[in-house]
Formats: sequence, structure tokens, C-alpha cells
Amino acid sequence: MLEKEILEHGLSFNRRRFLSTMSLGLGSVALGSLLVPSLLNGGDQDGTEFTPGIPHFAPKAKRVIYLFQNGAPSQLETFDYKPKLCDMMGLDLPASVRGTQRLTGMTANQATFPLAPSFTNFKQYGQSGAWISDIMPYTSKIVDDICIIRSMYTEAINHDPALTFFQTGSQQGNRPSMGSWLSYGLGNENKNLPDFTVLLSRGIGNGQGVYSKLWSNGFLDSIHQGVQFSKGEDPVLYLRDPEGMDRKERREMLDHLAELNDLSYQEFGDPEISAKVKQYEMAYRMQTAVPEVMDLSKESDDIIKLYGPDCLVPGTFAANCLLARKLSENGVRFVQLYHQGWDQHGNLPFEIQSQAKDTDQASAALITDLKQRGLLDETLVIWGGEFGRTCYSQGKLTIDNYGRDHHPRCFSIWMAGGGIKPGMVYGETDELGYNVQKNPVHVHDFQATVLNQLGLDHEKLVYKHMGRRFRLTDVSGKVVRDIIS
Amino acid sequence: MKNSKLTGILEQVLLASFFFVGFLLVFESELKIPLFLQPFGRLHTLLLHFPIVLLLLAMFMEFFRFQASLQENKTYLQITQLLILVGALSSGITVMMGIFLAKEPGYGGGNLFWHRWLGVGTYLFASLIYWIRSRSWYQVTWAKCMSISMALMLVLVGHFGGNLTHGGNFVLEPLMKSQTVPLEEAVVFQDLVQPILEKKCVACHNPDKIKGELLLTDAKSIAKGGKTGPLFVAGKPELSLLIQRAHLSIDDKKHMPPIGKPQLSDDELQLLSWWVKEKASFTKKVVDLASTDSLRILSTKLLASSGPKEEEFDFQEADEKTIQKLSNEYRTIMLFAKDSPALSVNFFNKAQYKAPKLEELKEIKQQIVTLSLAKMPVQNADLAFVKIFEHLHTLNLNFTDISEVGLKELAGMKELMVLSISGTKLKAAGLASALKAIPNLKKVYVWDAGLSREDIQILQKQLKGIQVVGGFQDDGSNPLKLNPPQVKNPSTIFDEYIDAQLGHPIKGVEIRYTTDGSIPDSAKSSIFAGNLRLNQNTSIRARAFKPGWIGSEEAIFDFYRGHFRPDSAVLLTPLNRVHQAAGAKTFFDGRLGSFNANSPAWANNWAGVRNNDLVLVTMFKQAITLSSVELRIMVETQTGIFPPESVEVWGATIENQWKLMAKFKPAIPKENFPHTLPLIGTRFKPSTVKYIKIVAKPLEKIPGWHPSKDKRALFLVDEMFFN
Repeated sequence: MLEKEILEHGLSFNRRRFLSTMSLGLGSVALGSLLVPSLLNGGDQDGTEFTPGIPHFAPKAKRVIYLFQNGAPSQLETFDYKPKLCDMMGLDLPASVRGTQRLTGMTANQATFPLAPSFTNFKQYGQSGAWISDIMPYTSKIVDDICIIRSMYTEAINHDPALTFFQTGSQQGNRPSMGSWLSYGLGNENKNLPDFTVLLSRGIGNGQGVYSKLWSNGFLDSIHQGVQFSKGEDPVLYLRDPEGMDRKERREMLDHLAELNDLSYQEFGDPEISAKVKQYEMAYRMQTAVPEVMDLSKESDDIIKLYGPDCLVPGTFAANCLLARKLSENGVRFVQLYHQGWDQHGNLPFEIQSQAKDTDQASAALITDLKQRGLLDETLVIWGGEFGRTCYSQGKLTIDNYGRDHHPRCFSIWMAGGGIKPGMVYGETDELGYNVQKNPVHVHDFQATVLNQLGLDHEKLVYKHMGRRFRLTDVSGKVVRDIIS
Repeated sequence: MKNSKLTGILEQVLLASFFFVGFLLVFESELKIPLFLQPFGRLHTLLLHFPIVLLLLAMFMEFFRFQASLQENKTYLQITQLLILVGALSSGITVMMGIFLAKEPGYGGGNLFWHRWLGVGTYLFASLIYWIRSRSWYQVTWAKCMSISMALMLVLVGHFGGNLTHGGNFVLEPLMKSQTVPLEEAVVFQDLVQPILEKKCVACHNPDKIKGELLLTDAKSIAKGGKTGPLFVAGKPELSLLIQRAHLSIDDKKHMPPIGKPQLSDDELQLLSWWVKEKASFTKKVVDLASTDSLRILSTKLLASSGPKEEEFDFQEADEKTIQKLSNEYRTIMLFAKDSPALSVNFFNKAQYKAPKLEELKEIKQQIVTLSLAKMPVQNADLAFVKIFEHLHTLNLNFTDISEVGLKELAGMKELMVLSISGTKLKAAGLASALKAIPNLKKVYVWDAGLSREDIQILQKQLKGIQVVGGFQDDGSNPLKLNPPQVKNPSTIFDEYIDAQLGHPIKGVEIRYTTDGSIPDSAKSSIFAGNLRLNQNTSIRARAFKPGWIGSEEAIFDFYRGHFRPDSAVLLTPLNRVHQAAGAKTFFDGRLGSFNANSPAWANNWAGVRNNDLVLVTMFKQAITLSSVELRIMVETQTGIFPPESVEVWGATIENQWKLMAKFKPAIPKENFPHTLPLIGTRFKPSTVKYIKIVAKPLEKIPGWHPSKDKRALFLVDEMFFN
């Protein structure tokens, strides 16, 4: 009997000890939990993680101009010189090089993949000695101001997903565009113009669609949406007052409307209502600011000669570059250009020359123009397409005619200004121009780098939507430190 | 030993502290230290001395605890016991504070890692001693081992902590030389090669540990080499052991540095091999190398990257309310970044700017670091206000009304480094002296500011150390080709007549044209003067000319006469799925199509058929006298777009009493026929009609020379003209 009592005593003692110790422990943990706000309140810390409108760290660039070359320009005729292809012209691409790369339906059934050298010559330019093809005579002159990345790669193999991936970080869409993220992250610089504007142009080459989903704000507040500026009388649709309405009347109308909107905001608390009021106000100010920005008549002769005479023809790439400079100069955070027509599946030598002619001078001019105004240091300019093109010919290969299919494994883009190292060539592809050999840069790495230059940490620029924190770079991306000066 | 009440409480607290510290460690990455606790964290550096002293003393006593003379001394034993308890407890508190302190920015790296875990270890170890020291098996050896280990741990944790606060090598630092070397003085071996060896190789190749009989600590030993032979063949990196070993596969036994040790980075390896290539000189300076030399470029990069990176500001941040008060639609005030006191200010909208707007910024004069007044009507006198922004480093005065006279106001602005005065009206005289008076100016932008190329060259010579950016000025040596003229008429289709309007976006351009099909030239062709009236189908060829430019390519503008427009039109057959255009209305809507009709987005103006005839019936309310019918079509043989096989024109005055008025067969193009947008049609005897029916049959068999021979061709029409 005694044994049992001893045992019971031991047990109860232990239980008591256990409980009192546990309570101590629990108390300590409870005290500690006060220091971990995310533990007990569901982790809503958007406010502490990111304040919209204020960069995480001092930015190198304040604005971005993105000259998107839609349709995917061939790297092999522009920035990635592959003399080896000349020796191997017409030979089949070795299967070991192609590996497991999936092909598009356009060439997957081709019996052979004849290697196609570039029809055009390359030369070295500038202090950096970068190789540039002869179809880019103006770009070759600014080579010491730009950083050419020859080792870009992406995941998508067709235009729309690839383009959407570049712009929104997801192939499927419905996410905010890069410009919208920047508008969200950096806020307004000029309160009379939108943060994010879009300009379209088209060359005579094979074109691919560009849709307004590319400049959508996704789940962000709609004030971050891209605003398309079109050519012609009304650059921004519906901005003009109807005939017979003067500014004063418009002002009064907006004031009354704002009162009504305020009432419904008080009732429903929908943030879209206040976003709308803000947009009305901005539109009102844009009514005076936009015509001033869009007016090209006061540009000097030197500027016209710099950009080329097409810069006065609305809707051309040259005119859009000039406008991009004017918008950027006026504090628009993100100016997105798209130039269509780079999809050279066939007839490449002819079409790509005409595409280059459309874009070469004006792209180079934009760099020179920003530089001479002291704006290049604070403006990041990006030139490039959504993927690359194959080193083998799509369809028949002749000495002066061939085509190239889509190629996600390597392509070239360039960046300039905004704290990017000038006069640099980064990354290498193999001698056939099929795979990246050195310093690969994924689309998410590129996006992370762009955000970094604007003072934003791509891992912290988040927006919580439907229970998940979304980023432009999804769950990956590394800032390419090597190209940052 | 009997517990007093005090020790009982202390023991409980110690126990509780385990849980607390454990919790903090587990959730460390999630911790958010409230402001009021930060001073508590910072007290770590003060409090840490208690556990060190208490525990050292306790361990000293513990070491001798089992000495015969002390074993019976109750006070001695009690004091030891209490000292260990209080020591353990105070180390626990110190650990908590340390965890808080480590959350503040600036702590990290290996030192922190060791310090943290040794600190936690000390705390746990001290507690462990406290609890096991009264067990029966805990005797002399235990006491001595434990107290010595504890003391060692205390020394180590203190050492790493010291490294954290004072930096590594704090003690010996006064004896070592400074690290940063200016580029001009840098010696390739001493300042670039040697540091790499020290970082990655010397750990195993030093006098204490001479692996492979190789010493890498000084130039002489490096030149001598090791067991396997000399390290390098000067000028031949590919034959040099140093480079070969580094290039071996990482799994190779001979690969250096061995697997598991920090490896050479690409840059470092590159530098070593270039250094060998450059004859492995021990004395050569970086500046002795040619400026295009790869080794020099890389060295410059490596030396530069060790320099300071982020700007730091040592002034107070501005009040948030003040910033808000001063911000408005036309004056944006932005924080540089979170946690930065610096502000950047931009002005927009010329009409809203007045000088006092600048003066209002007085309240934040300390914080303004960049200021843009571009395009504002800023006067020379206003620059006096700018001078009060003492920390300004970037100033944009592009396209303002200032001149070199006003720039004198900026004299002595110590922090101003970048000045943009492009688009102002400057005079070369006096500009250099005004700019020289800004002591730390690095860059000045003077494009389009009334200075000639020579002025800018001279200015650059006068301003040593300042980069003068002139920008693009056309010198006429590379004339550009003008773009072709444009037609300004909203539509080039007319019923009776039209006044052709040609234009060009560039001012002062002369447009010359022909209407007879010849190519216009700059000498003989007519100059367009705005009075060109057309009353029949006309093809105008025009070119633009302007002195200093190359004449443009010709532009061809086709004007079409379509006198009668039907009151209604109906298609009796379906159109091709992608070439619907505007249905029957397409043919009379006055809108012309262009090339690239196969891409649906651009097909809008083209109506097309392939698998059936195109049958169109049009009606007029009033009878008309018709004498010709024309169709504007596309011919693009490459994509299989051909003229129709035949076109029939039927007329009627009464519904359904059709009479064939004309039938024609357009010529079918040969191989390599260019893309064109021709008119096809026919004239016939004038006759009165109210109804017109057009029946066009697409080409049934594409000719034999075409890749898709014998298939049906596509037939596209954008407009029809009845005259």
C-alpha cells in the first residue's frame, strides 16, 4: 500500500511541478508573443512591411522608359554575334545542344534544323568593344552608354504568354503590370499626369497583338492602371470637355460629383469610389497638362534631326520615343512603348532591316537626349523583346533569306541609365547561340533589378490579395548586382 | 542544501526565462521590437559585464570547491551556489537583450552567429552547472572540468561580442595599414593579387601550416613555388600551376582551393590569370597598364567596388506635417527613401510657378537634396533662394530663364555636384568662373544653351575635374533623308471634285509632285501650293525637299472618283470569316484598306471571299446614268490574294429584271508580281439604272508557279466606285 502512496505522491508532485512549470513557460511565451505581432493576429502586416509611395532604399532611377520590341527581335541579327554559324551554315542543329527544349508547332515538325548565320555583319564599337550588327548604326554609336545583356532567358514560348510574363511576372495575366507596381511602389511624381502611360507603334514586319491587359492594374487600386496615349487629335480618349462646356463649369460639376461620391463612400466604404474621385481630379488637371506634353511643334531642329524626321509623324516609334522623353521629363514614372512587327518567322533579312530602321535612330536618340538634359542618370531605359529567336532557320534557308522561330533559352536586351553600368556587355551564349553559357538572367531577375534601381526591394513590394501576398517577381528573382554601377 | 525563499524565486524565474528565450529564438525572424524596448536591447552592452564577472568569479570558486578547507565552509558554498544562480540568470537577461539588439539594423555575419549561439550556450551551460552540481556523482573532476569550460566559453563569447561592437582585429588594428588604396597608387600584386591569396589560400599555405611545401604569404615564397614546382610560367597562364589547379574540376583531388573551402570567384580567377599573363610582375602598378588592358579594367572595377556605396546624410528629417503642407499639385516633395531624411523637390506647370513658391521651401531647406525647376520661369535673382538649400547635390535648371550671371549666386554651395542648365541662354564669357566657384561640382549639362561646340570644348578645358556634357548639335555633315509628304484629306474618295491637300510635318519643306506617273524631282516638278483640284481618278506622286536634308522618297496618293453612292446595299453571299469588314457597307464607306490584310487586326477595311462568289446588290432611290464600275482590290500573290476570275455588272430599273451590262476578266499576275492595291473595272455604254448587281468570282485555280497552285484564291475588295 505504501508503495502505491509513494507512487501517487510522486505522480501528484510531478503533475503539480509540471503544471506550475508549464504555467511559467506559458507565461513566458505569452510575454514573448507580444513581440511577434504576426503570430496571433493572422499576420496582417501590410502596413508595416510596405508604405506605398516611399522606396525601401535610396533609388538610382526615378523613372523608367521601356521600349518594348514586340514580336521578339532576333538576337542573332542585333547584339549576339555568332561567327561560328557561318562555318556551320545549313548543318543540322546538334540534338545535344537542343536538349529537351520544346519547340513551337511552327517548327516542331521540320525534318532538319539548318543553322542559319546572320545575313548582316557585326563590328565592335566603343570603349567596351561590344559587337553590334550593321542594321543598328545609331545604337552602335551609343554603345558606351548602354549595358547589353546577352543572356536573358524566359519560360514562355509564345508571344502573348511571354509578353504577359515580362510585364506582369505571370504568363496567365490578371496580375498588375510592371508600371502599375511602380506606380504603387513609388507614387506620383507629377500630380497632373498619370504615373504609367502607354504608347503604341507598329512597323511593317509581321505583327503580334498588344492588348490593354498588359497595362492593367490587376488587383491593385485602379489609379495605378496604365493610360494609353494614342496618336491623333485626342491622345487621351474622353479627356476633352464636350463642346460648349468651359473649365469653370467642369470644375463645378466635379465638385458636386465629388460630394455625391463622398456620400456613397461614407455609406459603402468602397475604396474604388475614392479612387474614382482621384481619377476625375487628375483628369481635370490632365486637361491642361496633356496638350502641353503632347505638343511637338516647339521641338528644335536639332531634336528633329536627332530622333529623325519621323518623330513628327504621330504614331511612329520615333514620335513615341520623343513623347516618352517628354512624359518622363514631366515626371511620369513609367512610360511603356510597344513597337510591333518583330516576329520574323520568314523573310527575316528584309523585315528586320525595316524594323531596325524604324527603331534604331530614335532609341539611340532617346539615350542621347536624356543624357544631354542630365536625365539619363535618373531614368532607366530598357530595350528588348519577349524572347529570342532560333539559331536555325524556320522554313527554307538560302544565303539571303530565311526565318527564325521563337526561342526562349537566350536573347539580348539592353538597359541604360538609372544606375546601370554603362558600356558593359553581360552574359554569354554558346557558340551556336542556343543556350546561355555564362551569367544567365531570368525574366524575374530582370524585374528584380528594375525594381532595385527604383529603390524597391522586389521581395518586399507586396500586395495582399485573396489571402496571398503577391509580388512582381512571384517567388523568385535575384537582383543582377554585376550590372549595377 | 536547503533552498531559501530567495533562491526558490530565482530558480522559478530562471526556469521561466528558458521558455522566454526559447520562444524568442524560435520566432526570431518574426520579431518586431517595439520602440520602447529598444533601449532595453541596447543595455545589452552594459549588462553583459555582470554575467562575465559573476560567472568567472563563481567558476573560480567552483574550481576550488572540493578543497578540504573549503568543503566544510557553508558560507563559501552558499555564496558559490548563489553566484552561479545569479550569474545564469543575468546571462539569461543578457541573452534576451542581445536578441533584441540584434534585430536593429547593422548586425549580421559570422561574428553575430558565433556570439549569439555561444551566448545562449553560456546561459544554458551555467544553468546546467547550477542544477547538476549538487548531485552525488558531481565531484572534483567534474567541478574542475565544468568551471574551466565555462570560463573558456565566457572568453569566447566576449571575444565575438567585442568583434561585433568594435570590428574584427580591434585590438591589433593600430598596427595594421589601411585597406583602401587609391587607383593611382595601386600595385597589381600587392593590392589585388595578394589580398586574394590571403583570403582564399593562406589559411593552408602559411608558415604554421605549409601544405605542399608552399608558402603564399610573401612575394619571395610565391616566386619560389612549392613541392610540385614553381607556381607559374610568367606570361603563360595556361601552363601555370596556380591557374591550372584552380581550373580543375571541383571534385578533383588536386583542385585548389580544396572542396569545402571558399572558392575563387570568377573575377578573382580572371585576375590571377591575367596577372600571370602580364608576366606576373610584383611591382607593376595598375596605372602602368594600357587603359584598354583587360587586367586594368578588372582591377579598376575591383578597387572601385570596395569604395563607399550609399550616400549618408547627417541632418535631421523634416516634419511629416511640414512636407504635407508644402506639397501640392504643382510642387512635389518626395522622400528619398524610407528612413532617409533627404527630400527631392520637383516643380511642374509653368503657369502655376511664382518665385515665392521657392521661398516657401525655407522650412525644409536642410533636407532638400535634389531640386528640379526645369521649364519654370526662374529668374537669375531667384537663385539667391536656391543657395539656402545647403545640402543640395543635384539642381536642374533646364529651360529656365537663368544665365551665367545668376549662376554666380550658387558660388560656394559645397555639396552641389550635378547642375543641369541645358536649354538656357548662356554666354561663354563668365560661365567658367561662375561654375568654378561651386567647389565640388562634378557634372554640368549645357546642351542647347547658346554655346557652340568650340565654346563647350574650351569650357571643358577650363573646368578640370568637371564633366561638361554638350549633347547633340547638328553640324550638317550627316544629312538625313526627309520623310515623304502626307495627304491631309480625310478621305481621298470624292464625288465631283476634290482639292488635294498635301502636307509635311517638318516646317519649311517644299513638296513637289506629278500627276502623270513620272517620279517628281527637285527641279522641274510642280511645287505644291495648295491649289490642286482633281475631278477624275488621279495618282499624285510627291516628294519633300528642304535645304540641309536629302529629298524624301516619293509618296503616291491615289484619289478616286466615286460619283454615285447607293442608298442601300445588300450582300447576297457570305463573306470570308476573317474578312467581314463592315459587310455590304464596306464598299461605299470611303475608307481604304492597307497591306497586311491577312492579319485580322488590320483586315478591317477589306471584305473578302474565297469559297463562293461575291454578289452585291445596290439600290438607288433616284435612277442614275451609269457608265463605269471600278473595284479597288488587293493583289498579294505571296499570301494567295489574287484578282477575281471575272466580274459581272448587272443593271435594272425595275427590281429583279436584271440585264448584264458588262463583264470583264482582270489580268492574273505572273510570278514575283509586287504587292499592289490596283483598281479593276470597266466602262460601258451609259445606261439608266436604279439597281446594280456586282458578281465577282474569286480565282478558282491559283496558277502553276505558285506554291499553293490549283487552290482557290482569296479575293479582297475595300471600295467600289460607280461613275
